[in-house]
Amino acid sequence: MSGAARSARQLRAASAGNGVLLILIALLIALTLGMAQLEPLFRALFPDLGNPLYARDSFLNLMLAHIGLVLVSSLISVTIGIAAGLFVTRPVGREFEPMVSSLAAIGQTFPPAAVLAIAVPLAGFGFTPTIIALSLYGLLPVIQNTIAGLGTVPQTTLEAARGNGMSRWQILRRVELPLAMRVIIAGIRVSVIINIGTATIGSTVGAKSLGTPLIAGLVGNNLAYVIQGALLVGLLAIVTDLLFERLERRYAFGG
Amino acid sequence: MIELQGLTKTYAGKNVVEDVSMTLETGEFGVLIGPSGCGKSTTLKMINRLVPLSGGRIILNGDDVTELPAEQLRRRIGYAIQSTGLFPHWSVARNIATVPQLLKWPKSRIDDRVDELMAMFHLDPAEFRHKYPHQLSGGQAQRVGVARALAADPEVLLMDEPFGAVDPITREALQAEMRRVHRQTGKTIVFVTHDMDEALQLATRIALLNGGRLVQYDRPIEMMVKPADDFVREFFGQADLGLKLLSRRWVHQYQRPPSLAHHATLPGLDHCWRLDDAGRPIVLEGARLDDQHRHTDVRAEWIATPEMSMKEALSRMVWYRVMVLPVVDETGKLIGEVGMQGIMGIESDGGLHAGEPAS
Repeated sequence: MSGAARSARQLRAASAGNGVLLILIALLIALTLGMAQLEPLFRALFPDLGNPLYARDSFLNLMLAHIGLVLVSSLISVTIGIAAGLFVTRPVGREFEPMVSSLAAIGQTFPPAAVLAIAVPLAGFGFTPTIIALSLYGLLPVIQNTIAGLGTVPQTTLEAARGNGMSRWQILRRVELPLAMRVIIAGIRVSVIINIGTATIGSTVGAKSLGTPLIAGLVGNNLAYVIQGALLVGLLAIVTDLLFERLERRYAFGG
Repeated sequence: MIELQGLTKTYAGKNVVEDVSMTLETGEFGVLIGPSGCGKSTTLKMINRLVPLSGGRIILNGDDVTELPAEQLRRRIGYAIQSTGLFPHWSVARNIATVPQLLKWPKSRIDDRVDELMAMFHLDPAEFRHKYPHQLSGGQAQRVGVARALAADPEVLLMDEPFGAVDPITREALQAEMRRVHRQTGKTIVFVTHDMDEALQLATRIALLNGGRLVQYDRPIEMMVKPADDFVREFFGQADLGLKLLSRRWVHQYQRPPSLAHHATLPGLDHCWRLDDAGRPIVLEGARLDDQHRHTDVRAEWIATPEMSMKEALSRMVWYRVMVLPVVDETGKLIGEVGMQGIMGIESDGGLHAGEPAS
C-alpha cells in the first residue's frame, strides 16, 4: 500500500520534473537561436550602449564551441579519473591511493586561470590550453567519487560474488561498477557543471566559447554582452544538471 | 561426500584452524559450531577457498579439489550467507540465476530452474521474479539466498550463519524450511552457526570446534549423551539436556491415532476430538489438567504438525494447559494426536538411538 503510494508520488514528482526540464530546454534552444529577436529589449534596458547585442559571432556557434570544450575536457577527466579510481581500489594499486587522491586535490586547488597561464607557453593559444586546464580541474570529483562509490559496495555482497564463483573481472563489471555507478555519476555531474562554468575563461586565451561575449562585455564595459553570455552559460549548466539528476536516479537500487 | 584432511590456517604465525579433518557423507547435514573465534567460519570458507588454505586437502566426491582454480571450485559448491549477500541491483530471478549464468546454461534451462527453485521455496514466480532484494522481507531474502546457492545443483552447499540476521520467529520458519529442503534435495550441507538450538534443529552431524581444533565430531544425540570432554559437556549445557533431547525428536515419531470417542477409563486421560465436515479438529473434550470434563475450542496456537519438534509440542501443551495436541496435515485435517504421556517415551528408546529426522 505505502509502496504504491510512494511510487505514485514519485511518478507525479518525476512528471513535474519533466515539465520543468522541457521548458528549460526549450528556453535554452530559443535563446541560443533567437537572441537577436531580443535586441529591442536590450536596447530599452541599456539605452546608452551603441551595440546592445553581441554580433561578432552567432550564439549558436558559441554554444556549440562551448559544449565542444566541455565535452572533450570532461571525456578526458572522466576517462583518467575513473581509470585512476579503479586502479587505486584494486589490490595492486591500493598503496597509491593517498598519492593519487592528493595529486587530484592539488589539481583542484590551482586556479584554472593559473593553469591557463602555465599551459599557454607550452601549448599555444586557443583550444588546447583550455582543454588542459579544464581536464585537470574536473579530475578530482571523478576520482573521489569513483573511490567513494566503489567503497559503498557492501563486503557481504563482494563475498557473495566471490563465493558464487565470479572472477575478479566479473565482480568488477557485474557487481562493483553497477552498484558504484550512482556515486560515480554524481562525481561526473559535479565535474561537468564546474567545467561548464570554467570553460568561459578559455576565452581569455582565445578559445571560442560562451565566455567570448562575456569577456568582451567585461573588457568593453558592455553589460548587455555579459548578460547574454551569462544567461546562456547559466541555462546550459542548469539543464545539464537536471539531465544528470535523472541519469543518477536510474542507478538507485532500493536506496 | 566431502572430506576435509588436516585443514590448517595460519595467520601471522598463529594457527587459527589447526589440523581439522572430517568426512561428511552425501546427504548429511553437518553443522560447525563453537564459541566465537573458534575457527568455524574460517574452516567453512576454506572449503570454497574464500580463505586460502595454509595446509591440508579437500576431497570432493573422490576428486582432490585443493588445486582446482578457485572460481571453478566455487561453481561446484553452493554458498549462502546473510540476506545482505544478495545483489541489490539484480531482480530475484537474476540473483537466483547467478551461477547458472556463469556456467553459461541456455536461457530456457535457467528460466526453468529459477521457477523450480522459487516453487521449492514457496515464492510465487509471478509475484517475486521481478522484485528487487530491498522489496523482500528478511525471510524472503534469505530464501532467495539459499535458492541462489542451490541453483546450479552444487555437490555441496555451504551456509555461513545464514539465519543470523532474521528475527527468531522467521528463523524458526526458515529452519523448518531448511529441514524440508534438505530432505527433498538430499544435498550435502555444511552449516556454520553459534546457536546450539539451531544446530540441534538441523544437524545430522555436529562438529564442535574450540581454539581452532575439532573437539568432537558426532551425531547430535551422541554429543549430548557421550561428550568427549568437559568442554563439550559444558557447551551443550546440563540443566536442560532433557529439553534439548526433545528438540531432536519430531512429532511424527510420537504421534498416535486420534481418539474420536470417549472410551478410556483412566481419570485425566479420557478425551475425544470433535471434527468439522472437512475433518479439521474444532473441539477437544476433556484432557485438561484443571477440569477433565471441560470442552476446549481448538486453537491454531496449539495445533501440532508432524515436522514440529517435541520440544515445541511440549511447550505448547504446558503453555495452553492441555494434555494432548491435535496433529494435522497441510490441509488442517486431523491425522493424529500427541500427548503428555507420549513425551515420556512411547518409543521407550532411552534417548540414544532413535531421534534422527526421517530423511
